[in-house]
Amino acid sequence: MATFGSLALIIGLALAAYNLFAGGVALRLIATGQQAAISPERLADTARRAGIAVFIAVTAAAFALVYAALTNDFSITYIMEHSNRALDLKYKFAALWSGQEGSLLLWCWLLAAYGFVLRLRHKTDVKLYAYAGTIFAAIQVFFLAVVNFAAPPFSLLRGTIPADGNGLNPLLQYPEMVIHPPMLYLGYVGFSVPFAFALGALMMRYPGEKWIKITRVWTLVTWLFLTFGIFLGMHWAYAVLGWGGYWGWDPVENASFMPWLTGTAFMHSVMMQEKRGMMKSWNVWLIFSTFLLTLLGTTLTRGGLVSSVHAFAQSSIATWFYVAMGVTLAICIFTYIMQRDHLRADHQLESLVSRESSFLFNNLVLLTACFVILWGTLFPILSEYVQGSKVTVGAPFYNRVAIPIGLFLLFLTGVGPLLPWRSTSLKAVKRNFIVPTIALWVTVAVCLIFGPRPLSTWFSEAGYFYALVAFAVSASVFTAIASEFLRGAGVIAKQTGKNLAAAMYLLTRRNTRRYGGYLIHIGVVIIVVGLAGAAFNKSTEKELALHDSMSVGPYTLECVGFTQDSNANYDSNYALLDVYQNGKKQFQMAPEKRVYTASQQPQTMVAIHSVLSWDLYTVFEGTNPDTGQPIIKAFLNPLVSWIWAGVVLIVGGTFIALVPSLTPATAAVKAPATATLHAEPVLKGGD
Amino acid sequence: MSETLGLALGCLMAIGLFLYTFWPENAFASQRQKTRLDYLLERKEQLYENLRDLNFEYRAGKYPEEDFVAQRTQLENETAQLLAEIDVLEGQ
Repeated sequence: MATFGSLALIIGLALAAYNLFAGGVALRLIATGQQAAISPERLADTARRAGIAVFIAVTAAAFALVYAALTNDFSITYIMEHSNRALDLKYKFAALWSGQEGSLLLWCWLLAAYGFVLRLRHKTDVKLYAYAGTIFAAIQVFFLAVVNFAAPPFSLLRGTIPADGNGLNPLLQYPEMVIHPPMLYLGYVGFSVPFAFALGALMMRYPGEKWIKITRVWTLVTWLFLTFGIFLGMHWAYAVLGWGGYWGWDPVENASFMPWLTGTAFMHSVMMQEKRGMMKSWNVWLIFSTFLLTLLGTTLTRGGLVSSVHAFAQSSIATWFYVAMGVTLAICIFTYIMQRDHLRADHQLESLVSRESSFLFNNLVLLTACFVILWGTLFPILSEYVQGSKVTVGAPFYNRVAIPIGLFLLFLTGVGPLLPWRSTSLKAVKRNFIVPTIALWVTVAVCLIFGPRPLSTWFSEAGYFYALVAFAVSASVFTAIASEFLRGAGVIAKQTGKNLAAAMYLLTRRNTRRYGGYLIHIGVVIIVVGLAGAAFNKSTEKELALHDSMSVGPYTLECVGFTQDSNANYDSNYALLDVYQNGKKQFQMAPEKRVYTASQQPQTMVAIHSVLSWDLYTVFEGTNPDTGQPIIKAFLNPLVSWIWAGVVLIVGGTFIALVPSLTPATAAVKAPATATLHAEPVLKGGD
Repeated sequence: MSETLGLALGCLMAIGLFLYTFWPENAFASQRQKTRLDYLLERKEQLYENLRDLNFEYRAGKYPEEDFVAQRTQLENETAQLLAEIDVLEGQ
């Protein structure tokens, strides 16, 4: 399999290089109108087909590595280092992305898969797709060169082939790890597509903004994968790492969050370009930055640039990525300078109180957040370079800066939909903001009077104060979005005579992008409420003898037994805890500590009981070596399930936004240039 | 899988992909140059969509009457100019 896999990767590289070369030559011939022995269209088509063939070759290579893992082929170094015979089947499959070489192969495969679809859909706009396909091929050449020369996954082991492998990192032996990395990578890799289209459109001076419509689905799908991947990572950290939290501002977490921030900014500001022909330069730079940040993220994750619990690979491939980032940046700057006159805005910002300005502020806030996180992430490297000693920036720094930024962003999430395009009057502002403002102050009052803290403490500690602001702004934003739905549905109900629920459905179908987007915003609100719950976390730790008990929040935990279990892959110790509330037994929990046989590494498996208001989270910390008794740590984490519920809503909202809206039918109107037009476009079904 | 079999399979794949890439194909997609008229027609669709949004938001109570009238006039003027240019280009 090693020979077949290696050969497949070389073939893939050769085909991608041909795609880049032939595609580039064909586009040059078309642009200059030069004659050649072969027609440029034919040449471009062979380049496109080579791009499709890359997918077949890289799929064969990925198949070869998975097959080697499934058949325990320890002659391949990668398999020997990341798998073992007793490993569960699904984790053998996951071995494909558990190490550096394999994960780069996964990157190549996903890139090839995106490229495959891109090249099959070329008839949408042949020339634009030819540009995008050629740029895409350049990205493929880079990654295939890395897996062929810098991190080959099929290197053979020298000397005697061991009977068993080293096994998979225990941290990765968790069901979510089977889907989290592919999701995150689908997000990372996917941003190559809008990047290729944006750069291609700029290179060819694409007339109009249709390229944005063409790439909208790509961008949205990519954003969805990245969002889902980030939250799967959070859930994994929560359920596996055993520290009771889900986000630690780890460099690798930050690496996935930064392109998400710029990608989110792009998805908002690109609407201004589509609708009003504004912010063209800004948008191309947002997507350029997003792509560069995905490369940086890979460098952080795979290049050993910073240390992290998530960086499962350390190596010297960082240099390759530095070069790639440098070349990409140079090409982007050069193309922008050459074509910047093409990006002149059709309109200017007319008012600071308008939908456009809210998008602009939203972008500035997202970029500020991105810059702060980038600064904090790279600070250890910069400090080492300047001072000679590595100064790490911890969670308190990020929380101090990111929480106010996040709250302001949440505020804008509510403000944006309420502001009309172009400009607005004070009368309109008053009309649209009165209900959300009432919701805000009512929530403040309710929290202060009925909340879990005495009134004075809400303002004495930053955490409680931010939680109060988060609850209040969330209520306000939710009200704002709900009122948008209700007002829109009201119009449709009046026109069609349908009931409110049916009108809401029709409203959403008519503009899936807007109302899907609003659902995503509601998801964000719910997540923020969940995150704010962290201000009220409680924890306690105790060594528990048999029938000893400990309390956390409303629960009392009684230790009713210890047990051990063993299988070929690991040995484990459990503590059995009966959980009482108000003196009545409610349920039993079994936090676990495993020791994996192949690696001899310990791993905590936490037990979580989740309800809407909180999570009871228990950790088997280990045993006291003197007494032999287990040490149990228990956390009461309020509102955590709201975070996961919010993600479900985001996913649902994104799916809705991906569905095409009902096609509008427009009344035909003709008007002389001098006359004022009274066009009345209509929607099917009446508007 | 033996090394020889792997090599043979790899070579077969290489030949197959080479044939697929360079197989003489006479019916490949081509596209005429996008004109200003194409661009204006796309822009017209967008302006109509903006008008639809404006009308809908007004009916939903988001705009006071005077804001709505001012914005609609502005959008309609923009659309009228665009339609006039489309008429000129279509007439050529």
